Amino acid sequence: MRKIAFPPALLVFFLLLIGCSDSNHEQLFDSSKLPKKSIEEVEHIIEAFIMAEDSSVIEIPEGFYELNTQLILDNKSNVTIKGAGMMKTVLSFRGLKTGGEGVKIVGNNIKIEDLTIEDAPGDGIKAQHTDGIVFRKINVTWTNGDKSKNGTYGIYPVQCKNVVIDDCVASHSKDAGIYVGQSENIIVKNSLAFGNVAGIEIENSDNAEVFNNVARNNSGGILVFNLPGLPKSDGKGTKIYNNQILENNHKNFATPIGEGPNGNTVTMIPPGSGIVLLAAKDVEVFGNKILRNKTAGIAIASYQITGFPTDAPNWSPYTSNIYVHDNEYDRSKGFPDLTRELGQLVSLYNAHGKAKTQDIIYDGFWDQNLSKTIENNPMKICIDEAKMSELFFTLFDLSGGKEEVKSSKNYQPFTNCTVSVATDISVIQSL
Amino acid sequence: MAIFSCKKETPEQAVAKLPVEEENADGNFPYKWLSTYSFFEGELNKLYQNSELLEYSPASSLFTDYAFKSRFVSIPKDSIAEIIDGEINFPEGTIFIKNFYYPEDFRKPEDKKRNIETRLLILGSTGWEAYPYIWNEAQTDAQLKVVGGQTKVKFTNLDGKEQVIDYLIPNKNQCKSCHNKNEQMVPIGAQIKHLNWEKTEGASPQNQLLVWQEKGKLIGFDNPQKYPSLINYEDKNQTLNLRARAYLDINCAHCHNAEGPASTSGLFLDYEETDPLKLGLNKTPVAAGKGAGKFTYDILPGKPDESILLHRMKSTEVGVAMPEIGRTTVHEEGIQLIRDWILSLK
Repeated sequence: MRKIAFPPALLVFFLLLIGCSDSNHEQLFDSSKLPKKSIEEVEHIIEAFIMAEDSSVIEIPEGFYELNTQLILDNKSNVTIKGAGMMKTVLSFRGLKTGGEGVKIVGNNIKIEDLTIEDAPGDGIKAQHTDGIVFRKINVTWTNGDKSKNGTYGIYPVQCKNVVIDDCVASHSKDAGIYVGQSENIIVKNSLAFGNVAGIEIENSDNAEVFNNVARNNSGGILVFNLPGLPKSDGKGTKIYNNQILENNHKNFATPIGEGPNGNTVTMIPPGSGIVLLAAKDVEVFGNKILRNKTAGIAIASYQITGFPTDAPNWSPYTSNIYVHDNEYDRSKGFPDLTRELGQLVSLYNAHGKAKTQDIIYDGFWDQNLSKTIENNPMKICIDEAKMSELFFTLFDLSGGKEEVKSSKNYQPFTNCTVSVATDISVIQSL
Repeated sequence: MAIFSCKKETPEQAVAKLPVEEENADGNFPYKWLSTYSFFEGELNKLYQNSELLEYSPASSLFTDYAFKSRFVSIPKDSIAEIIDGEINFPEGTIFIKNFYYPEDFRKPEDKKRNIETRLLILGSTGWEAYPYIWNEAQTDAQLKVVGGQTKVKFTNLDGKEQVIDYLIPNKNQCKSCHNKNEQMVPIGAQIKHLNWEKTEGASPQNQLLVWQEKGKLIGFDNPQKYPSLINYEDKNQTLNLRARAYLDINCAHCHNAEGPASTSGLFLDYEETDPLKLGLNKTPVAAGKGAGKFTYDILPGKPDESILLHRMKSTEVGVAMPEIGRTTVHEEGIQLIRDWILSLK
C-alpha cells in the first residue's frame, strides 16, 4: 500500500481544524430577520407582566422586542406567558441597563413557552420561589461573536419546586445553559444544550430526572454538583438517562481564555467532560450515549478536588451512592484537556498512558470514617457496564498530593454491586 | 401641522405633553398624578410637606447615583403605627414617599434642584404596593409610570466638576427586587434599626421614633436603648467595622439576607450576621458567574482587590455590578470604606 505522507501545510491545517472545533458559534436561526417591534409595543409587554392577573395568559406576538428594562412577573398564580414560537418571538436584552436577569418569575403554576431570550447581560430567565414552573420550547442564547461578553445562566430556576424544562434550547452561556439550583422535583427533558461551558447542571437539588436531552459542544455536558454553605445545604436523587452527551470539547470560556479558574466551580471544568459528578449523592447514570468527549466520559469527583474548604454544615464533600450502567462510550476523539488541573491530571496520570482519553474516572476520595481503604467501596460507586474490560477506567489516588499522584486501572472494587436511586416525578410528569 | 420628531422623547417630555386633567382624589390608589395625593403644600416641586406627613431618614442611606433624597410617611388620621415584637407595624393606608432629586450644584444643595422621581409604597388590604412617579421637565407634577424610564442628569459635584448620569427609574416590578422579604413587599428604610438615631437638625438632638411617638403616630417605642441602632457610615468618628457593616446593611442586606432574594447565595450581609462564612470571608461564590472576575472568594481578608465583593461594587457592567439595580455609577466613597474594612480583616 502506498504510504501517504502529509505535507506540512496540510498537517498544520488539520491541527487548526481540531483547534477550531473547540469553539461553537452556531445559532438556531437569524433573529435579525424578524420585524422589530415599536417602543409602544415593547412597553405594552412590560406593562402586561406588571399588570398581570392570576389565571391569565400573556401573549407576546411575533417580532423582535428590544427591551432595556426587566420583564418581571411577581407573585402570580396560574399564568401562562406565550410567544408565537421559538423562532418567531424574540425578547432581546442586549440593551438592558440594569438587573441581574432579563426575565424574572415568582409565583405558582406558571408556564412560559414558545419564545427566545437573547443577550441578557446576566441570566436569561430566572424563576425563584416558584411552585410549579414549566419552561417549554424556550430558547435562550447569546449572539455575541465574542463569547467572553456572554451572560451567566440561560434557563435558571432556583429555590423552586416542581420544575419542568421540556423541549428547550440553551446555548453559549458562560456558565450553565440549563441550570436548576436548590430545588426539588425536577424534570429536564427533550432539550438541547450546546456551546455553553456547562450544558445542563443540577445543583443542590433533590429528586431530578434528566433524560432524552442532547448536550453537545459544551465544555462539560451534564453536571450534578452540591456546593457548601447554601440555604439548601445538599442535594440527592438524580437520574441521568437516555441522553446524548457528545463532543463536549468546547474551550472553557467561563474565565477569559488564558486565565485560570476563579471561585466558581464551573471555571474548573476541563473541556472534554461528558458527565461530571461533584459531591453528588444518589445518582443513577444509564442508557446514555457518551461519545467523543476528549477528557473523560464520566468524572466521579468529590469536592476536595477543587482545593476549596470542605468544612460546611449539613453537607458532605463526598460523592456517594452512584450507579453507572448500560451506557455507550466512545473515546476516539482528541486528547485530554491541558488547560485545567483536572484535565492535566487525566492527561498525565491516568492509568492507560499519557494523553489517553478516559471513559470513566474516579478521583478516589473517600470518607475515612467509613472505611480504612477504598477497596471496600465505602462511597458505593457502582459501575455495571457489559464491556467494562474495553473501557478506560482510572481510579486516582491523590492522598500524596500533587507531587505523588497514583492511579490504577482496577475497577473490581466498583463492580458487582448496585445502588438503588429513588426518584419520583409522577406529580410533575403531566405538566 | 404636526411635526414628527425622530428622537425618542424623554419621559418628562411625554408627561409634559399630556393635558392637565383634573384627577379625583377618591381614595382609589394609585393616582395618575402625584399632586392628587396632596402630600405637599405650595409649589409641588418644593416638596414642603403638609402637616400630616412625618419626615424621616435612615441613619445610613442607600447609594443611588449620588441622588439626594427626602422621605416622608403618611399615616392616616386616627391610625397609629405600633411596635410589636421589635418591628414597626404600620396601619392600612400608610404611604411612604421617597423623593429623588439633584441640586444643580452640590456645593449649594439648597439652591435650584431638579426632582427626578418619587416612589410611593402604599399599604393596602393585601399588603404593600410600589408605584414609581416620574417628574416632568417643567417640575410641575409627576406621573405614574409603571414601566419606569430613564433620564440624563447633570450636576456640579462637590469638587466643582460637572457630572452626567444616565439615571434609571425602575419599573414597578423591579421595586420588589429589593423590597422583598420572603416574597412579600416590605419597606426597607423604615425599620427600627435604621430610624433609631438622633437627628441633630434644629435646636436639640431628637430621636425620630420618639418624635413620631410624641406626635401620636407611634406607640410601643418604650426605650431607644432596647433596640438596635445602626450608625451613619459617613460618620468618621465611628469605628471602621461599624461603618462598614452599616454600609453593607443599607446597600446590600435587603437582598443578601436569609429571607431576601439573594438568600440563594448564602452570602448574608445584614448588620446582625455574625458568621464569618456567611459574611463572605473565605467563601466561594455560587452563581456569581462572570461577576466573580478573576477571584476566588467573596471576601479575602486583608486583600480587598482580590475580593469578589469589592470587584462587583467597582463595576458598572450589567451582570457584574452589585447591587443589581439602583445605580449606574460607582460609589467612590463606599468603595474606599469597604476597601479599608477588608484590608483590616484577618
